[in-house]
Amino acid sequence: MVLAIKLDNVSTVYEGEKRPAIRDITLSIREGEIVYVVGPNAAGKTTLLETINGLLPVFRGSVRVLGLDVRKHGRKVRCQIGYVPQDFMVNSNEPYRTIDVVLMGRCGKVGVLRRLSKVDKEKAIEAMKLLGIEDLANRPIGKLSGGQQQKAMIARALAKDPKILLLDEPFSNLDPESRERLSELISRLNKERNVTVVVVTHDVQQINNSCSRIVVMNNGRIIADGKLEDIVEAAEKILPINFWRSL
Amino acid sequence: MIWLNYTIFQRVIIGCIFTGLLTGLLGVFVVKMRLTAIGYSIAHSAFAGAALGLALLADPLMTALLFSIATALLIGPAADKAKLPIDTITSIAFSLNMALAFIFLTLAPTVGLSSEVASVLWGSIVAITNRDLFFLVVLTSIVIALVYLFWKEIFTIMFDRRMAEADGINTKPFIYFTILMVGVVIAFSLRLVGGILVYALLFNPASSALQFSHDMRKIIVLSPILGVISCISGFFLSLVFNVPIGSSIVLISTIMFAISVIISPKKRREVRT
Repeated sequence: MVLAIKLDNVSTVYEGEKRPAIRDITLSIREGEIVYVVGPNAAGKTTLLETINGLLPVFRGSVRVLGLDVRKHGRKVRCQIGYVPQDFMVNSNEPYRTIDVVLMGRCGKVGVLRRLSKVDKEKAIEAMKLLGIEDLANRPIGKLSGGQQQKAMIARALAKDPKILLLDEPFSNLDPESRERLSELISRLNKERNVTVVVVTHDVQQINNSCSRIVVMNNGRIIADGKLEDIVEAAEKILPINFWRSL
Repeated sequence: MIWLNYTIFQRVIIGCIFTGLLTGLLGVFVVKMRLTAIGYSIAHSAFAGAALGLALLADPLMTALLFSIATALLIGPAADKAKLPIDTITSIAFSLNMALAFIFLTLAPTVGLSSEVASVLWGSIVAITNRDLFFLVVLTSIVIALVYLFWKEIFTIMFDRRMAEADGINTKPFIYFTILMVGVVIAFSLRLVGGILVYALLFNPASSALQFSHDMRKIIVLSPILGVISCISGFFLSLVFNVPIGSSIVLISTIMFAISVIISPKKRREVRT
């Protein structure tokens, strides 16, 4: 099977910091896998996602996504990645309609000097339908609730028709029913479109049967990587045993 | 009340229209891309440049343009690499530029505030030349054409620069180009509004327009219209009360902002049953 993501001995350091936020990370994710990344606060989970899509430059090591070196082909890679950041909240006065924000996901893929077409708009509406927010298309995004904004950002990532989805705490602002729907949607996209998914979450309840692997991080390092039954022993050292029993 | 001959009157009205259009349009990008501190800094560097022009008996417009472009070219990359908050850098640049401007003004061969010095400080109706108008028209055409061509990228960057990067858009050229355009537009608006107040024309119409709509497309049309209204009304106010045109324009645009905050339809609570 082809590798979608390959990190080789990667360390990332934030500007002005001496201590790497993630260090010596070696990780391979195959095409079509669903990988959940868990760990306590400041474990380096968000840094890992932003290193994969090249928003944060690597200090050491190499990152290859879809066979391309992210350092050299960052923008090309990002056009294929749907990224949902953690707790992205919009000011209530932002002068953007929800449909405009979802459509933005298509901009990089369409390319410079080309206008967004009817097909792009259809993709955006389709993505909104998947999240059940098509009725909110013409509402100002700043006036939506936190959960609705979260869904709009997920729709933006899906509108891109991504080969890889990087989701940072995507369940955080959602009600239980929406969490369940999103969890099912991730599984469906993975099965029907062979989308590779990396999900950072604290909400282990959402880790369902479709999950291929769980990566456990602590202090910027991967301390366990595998199927649930393989990693529990290592993971219990950093996360309370109840955390894992709830799975 | 000042009476102007028809040619000067015509020239000032055209100057007001294009200055208002340009600053109103660019102002939206400056405010939404959070470049207000940078715009403020460039405005004062243009002022220092114009003062240098007076001291050297050179064309103040050209020296203002050089200073603005130099600042714009330096400040864009510096802002990206800065370890300090942008406000700190801007404050340092502001005080440096004001200090330079006043040093250059004292070095100007004419003693005291001659009409040319006053025009650089406060703006002047008669200072606008046909050449300035030509540059303003060309610049407006270029900016409108570029906005049309790159609208989807600009629109996306204004929403959130980091997310635009995550979507595969190269944001740096757009940000740097906006900063550069701000520098050029400020230099050309200097004659009308004056170096001390020119930045207000970048922020006030855009901030007022933002009070009126939740749709960026409407704001991008409304802000230049408010810019033109501010400039033309300010011009008539300065004629009637014989006060500097720059101050009148800023006064009008500030009143406009205050009114827009009060009557903003975005703050209304409408309950549909």
